[in-house]
Amino acid sequence: MVNAPVLEAKQVTMAFNAGTPREVVAFRDISFTLRQGEILAIVGPSGCGKSTLFNVIAGLLRPTSGSVSVDGTLVDGARGHIGYMLQKDLLLPWRSVLDNVTLGLEVRGTPSAEARDRAMALIRRYGLAGFESARPRALSGGMRQRVAFMRTLALDPKAILLDEPFSALDFQTRLILQGDVKRIIREQRKAAILVTHDIGEGIAMSDRVLVLSQRPGTVKAIHDIDLGDATDPGALRRSSAFNEYFDTIWRQLDGHAQAAA
Amino acid sequence: MGAAPAAIESLPGRSQPSGPRRILVYQTLLVVALFALWEVLVRTKLLPVYLYGQPSGILAKAQTLLAEGDLMTHIGATAFASIVGFLVGTTLGSVTGLLLWLSNTAALVLRPVIVAINGVPKIALAPLIVVWFGVGLGAKVAIAASLTFIVALISVYQGTQEVDEDLVKLMRSLGAKPLTIWRKVIVPGATPWILSTMRLNIGFAMIGAVVGEYISSKVGLGYMIYNAGALYDLNGVFVGIFCLMALALVLDAVLGKIEARFKW
Repeated sequence: MVNAPVLEAKQVTMAFNAGTPREVVAFRDISFTLRQGEILAIVGPSGCGKSTLFNVIAGLLRPTSGSVSVDGTLVDGARGHIGYMLQKDLLLPWRSVLDNVTLGLEVRGTPSAEARDRAMALIRRYGLAGFESARPRALSGGMRQRVAFMRTLALDPKAILLDEPFSALDFQTRLILQGDVKRIIREQRKAAILVTHDIGEGIAMSDRVLVLSQRPGTVKAIHDIDLGDATDPGALRRSSAFNEYFDTIWRQLDGHAQAAA
Repeated sequence: MGAAPAAIESLPGRSQPSGPRRILVYQTLLVVALFALWEVLVRTKLLPVYLYGQPSGILAKAQTLLAEGDLMTHIGATAFASIVGFLVGTTLGSVTGLLLWLSNTAALVLRPVIVAINGVPKIALAPLIVVWFGVGLGAKVAIAASLTFIVALISVYQGTQEVDEDLVKLMRSLGAKPLTIWRKVIVPGATPWILSTMRLNIGFAMIGAVVGEYISSKVGLGYMIYNAGALYDLNGVFVGIFCLMALALVLDAVLGKIEARFKW
C-alpha cells in the first residue's frame, strides 16, 4: 500500500545571519518525505541543528531556502496544522488534566461540549481515566507527558512532531511511554517525526531513521527500519536486527565526530 | 506493608496537628515575657516611664479610649482608608502590569517613568495630594493607592515576564492570538505574583493611610499616634502602634486565606 505524502521537506537550508560575514549554516539541503501512518526519526550529534529543523518544520522559523509543505500546502507560520510534543510537558498548572487536553481545541474555537467529549474519549482510551480533574502537580512525569500527548492528539493534527519528548523521564518510564506513543500513533494513523539524540529510541519507535551529519547538518543516510512485529520495548532492543541498525548508525555518527575533531 | 506509613506518621514531634498550636504557645509566651520584662524594668526605674511608657499604663489607656469610643473610630478610619487605598491601587496596578505584557513598546517607553515614580518617596507627594484631595479620607486613600499601585504594577509586570516562554510558544503553535495567550496563559500564570503583591501591599497601604493621617486628618490611628506623641503621652502612642500591628495581622490573615484558595 502506498500512502500519500503528508509532509514534504525540499532542500531546506537554514542559515543565521545569512549574507553577512557572521553567517552560520545550521543545516543544508535537507529533503525527506513523510507518509501517512509513518514515523520518521531524525538523529544526529548535538549541535547538528535538530532543534532548528524542528522549528522550521513546525512553522516557527522560516527557512533561508527550500520549502516544507503539509498536504501539499506550504508551511508558512504556525497555524496548528502540526501538533507537537516537547521535552517539557508545558501543561498549564492551574488547569485540570481535562482542561489541559482541551486547550488547543479551545484556542481553535471548538464548542466546549464537543472539545470535552473529544478529550474525554482520548483520556479514557489511553489510560488516564480517573485523572481528568487532577492538577498536573499531582501527576508523575510520565503521566504528565501522556497528558501533553493527548493535548496534541486532541487537535487531530496532520503530522506530529516529537522533540526529545522522553529525555527527561527515567529509563523505565521512557521505554513504556515510547511503546505507548508508537502504538497510539499507529492506531490513529498519524504521521510523526521524532527528533532525538538517542539512537535506540529512534530505531525502536520509527519506520525510518534519518541520520544528520555534524553542523552544517546534511542528510547522511536514511535507514528503513524493519524489526518485525515486536512491540515490547525490551524485546525490541534485544533483537539482532536492532543491534545491527544501532551499530551502523552509531558508526555514521561517530565517524563524523572523529573526522571533525 | 500498610503499617509502615502509619508508624512514621505517629513518630513523636512529627504529628501535624500539634505543630501550629505549639508555635502559638511559644509566640504567646514570647510576647508575655517581653511585656513582663518591660513592666519590671519600668517599675524598678531602670527605664524612665515618661520615655518608654508602661504595659499596665498602655492597657489602662486602651481601656479608657475604648470606653470613650474613640479607639474603635480611629481603628475603623485607618482600616477603611487602608483597604480602599489597597483595593484601588492594587487593582489598577495589577491590571496595568498585566496589560503591559501586550505591548513591549509601551513597556519599554514607560520603564523610566515607572522607575522614576517608584524612586520618589510618596511622602514627598504629600503637598500635592493635600491640594488635590483635600484633608481627610481622600488624601489618605490617594497616598495608600499611589504606593500600592506602583508596587503592584512593577511586580505583576515582572510576573508576566516570568511566565515560561515555551508556554507562549506552545500557544502560538496552536494558532492562538496575543489576546488569547494573554487571557489563557499570562493572566493565570501571573496570578501568584498578584497574590504575593497583595500580601506586600496591605502593609504599604497601611503606611500610606497612616502617613496621610499624620499630614492631614482629624481621625485615624496615625492622627491618634501623632497627637499623643505631641502631648508626650507615650502610652497613647503605644496603644496606636499596637492597634496598627493587630490590624496588620488581621488583614494579612484575611489575605492569607484568599491566597490559599488560589493554590494550584
